[in-house]
Amino acid sequence: MAAQTLSSRAAIVHDLALEDYGFGGDHPFNPLRVRLALELCDASGLLKHYPFVSSEPATEEDLTTVHSLTYVRMVQKAGRDAAALSDLLPYGLGTPDNPVFPDMHEACSRVVGGVLAACRLVMTGQVDHAMCISGGLHHALRSKVSGFCVYNDAGVAIARLKEDHPGIRVAYVDTDAHHGDGVQWMFYDDPEVLTVSMHESGRYLFPGTGEIRETGQGGGTGFSVNVPLEPYTEDESWISCFEAVVPEVLRAFGPDLILSQNGCDGHALDPLTHLSATTRLYEHVSRRMHDLVHELCGGRWVATGGGGYDIWRVVPRAWTALWAAVSHQEMPEIASEDWLSKWSAKSPVTPSPLMRDDPEDYPQKPRAARIASRNEITVQEVLDKVLPKIR
Amino acid sequence: MAREIATLSPDETAATALALCRERRIRHLPVLKGGRLVGIVSDRDLRSSTPALGDSERAAALQKVLVEDVMAREVVTADPEDPIEQAANTMRERKIGCLPVLEGDELVGIITASDVMEALVCLVGAHEPGSRMKVALPDRPGSLAGAAGVFGMCGINIVSAAMGATREPKEEGAPRERIVVFRVDTIDTTEVVGYLEEAGYSVLWPPKP
Repeated sequence: MAAQTLSSRAAIVHDLALEDYGFGGDHPFNPLRVRLALELCDASGLLKHYPFVSSEPATEEDLTTVHSLTYVRMVQKAGRDAAALSDLLPYGLGTPDNPVFPDMHEACSRVVGGVLAACRLVMTGQVDHAMCISGGLHHALRSKVSGFCVYNDAGVAIARLKEDHPGIRVAYVDTDAHHGDGVQWMFYDDPEVLTVSMHESGRYLFPGTGEIRETGQGGGTGFSVNVPLEPYTEDESWISCFEAVVPEVLRAFGPDLILSQNGCDGHALDPLTHLSATTRLYEHVSRRMHDLVHELCGGRWVATGGGGYDIWRVVPRAWTALWAAVSHQEMPEIASEDWLSKWSAKSPVTPSPLMRDDPEDYPQKPRAARIASRNEITVQEVLDKVLPKIR
Repeated sequence: MAREIATLSPDETAATALALCRERRIRHLPVLKGGRLVGIVSDRDLRSSTPALGDSERAAALQKVLVEDVMAREVVTADPEDPIEQAANTMRERKIGCLPVLEGDELVGIITASDVMEALVCLVGAHEPGSRMKVALPDRPGSLAGAAGVFGMCGINIVSAAMGATREPKEEGAPRERIVVFRVDTIDTTEVVGYLEEAGYSVLWPPKP
């Protein structure tokens, strides 16, 4: 659709082809998660003035800004079933985490293209904020598939922003339950890219990195910020850590654009992690990111998705809250009847009739005070390490 | 071990030795005479044998005190082919921070506490992406093989496995247990946790969803 008809100040980049990114079978990264989220946005009346903006797949030139050409070739071969497993494994392909699927190169390039298009919409001033919920594949490494992520959309998007707008300062804010390792390593020595990742401590959880002392290297020292949270952190402590770190480091850095990774796998119902958050966290983070982009960078904000593996009860509501913040709309209290009646029968669990979790269903755990105080120590250490370098 | 080694001769001054420690950011200097290891000196030996910082006699003393006056003459050394755990144990038992490595009479390297730490990090695979799992196994033949087989069946690669001391079982009459920490190359441990429990191993981390 033509850009002129974009209403108001936000855009959502999506088309059906983006839902080809998935690993099939009962793999936890199921593209249905995107469908469920967008249909809930629609059924909640939040897409009325926001038709989907389509996008082109990323080109090989785009991908090789952060990936090696040999890796891209291997992904292409894998998707055509033209490579032996022994050749694929060194690239992380063909494992239970990252099985090969037909035309995977094309599907993965489309996701990157979606985030590139979102960045362009924002940089050309057509909209203030743009969301591409298929993006957020933050584990992808230069030459390796990792943790369900083939191509690193944020990595490519930031590298392209830097090429097209020399001197631009980009802040990447990652609130997925897992460390945003791929993006961090791609810009580890770059003082023009601030990466901030808040995640469940890598002491136990994949990928195992994201410790406080990972602050960047060379001229980029201080520009990688990691806040490893204790398992069972819960909303209260999570939010106070976010408030203590994110506004502070972003203000010190002074970004021209903020790219957020909005994985929602820190929810108590998520099967892969142990942070015990609720929808309150995801609504808070979305609203506060919105405040911060207006305060700091003229509203330039690109929001992406990420992890989130309770696809029925968590992902649709968390990402509807995100879109509501991106598009300056109110999220309804009650989940749409139409959406519930269409999907409840197909769901193995019972989706919530309310858009926000009831705090009474998630009573505070007995160790909460101890966990909160450990997190406070972490936050202080992080700020002491990075703030003097960023300023 | 480090192969590029800063060394001293016995007749050099404490001032020279301390400057070398500062410049190379190291704490231990082997002392060679005619190519043979005759002693070792640490920055702490040098400091404690000279007046403190701020003392007006310090500068003169640093020029007067010689390495041979403060060095330890009985040097505990290692062989390049010693296992890392042996070197670590020697350092722990003797309460020392480094071992010069000798091949015959020739000094070929030095191993310090930081090198041992580095080896530990590599042994547990903490520098590669992966999930950390803690499993209690019955202390009897075949347990580790059985648990490892479950990962194999799920197609999950084990990056490292570190097995600790035995402990009393939770239930009376059950065999003693060993705790194993696996680092495995997967983001999703839900399935393998289920199979491990089914096979009778108790998974201490991660918790069941």
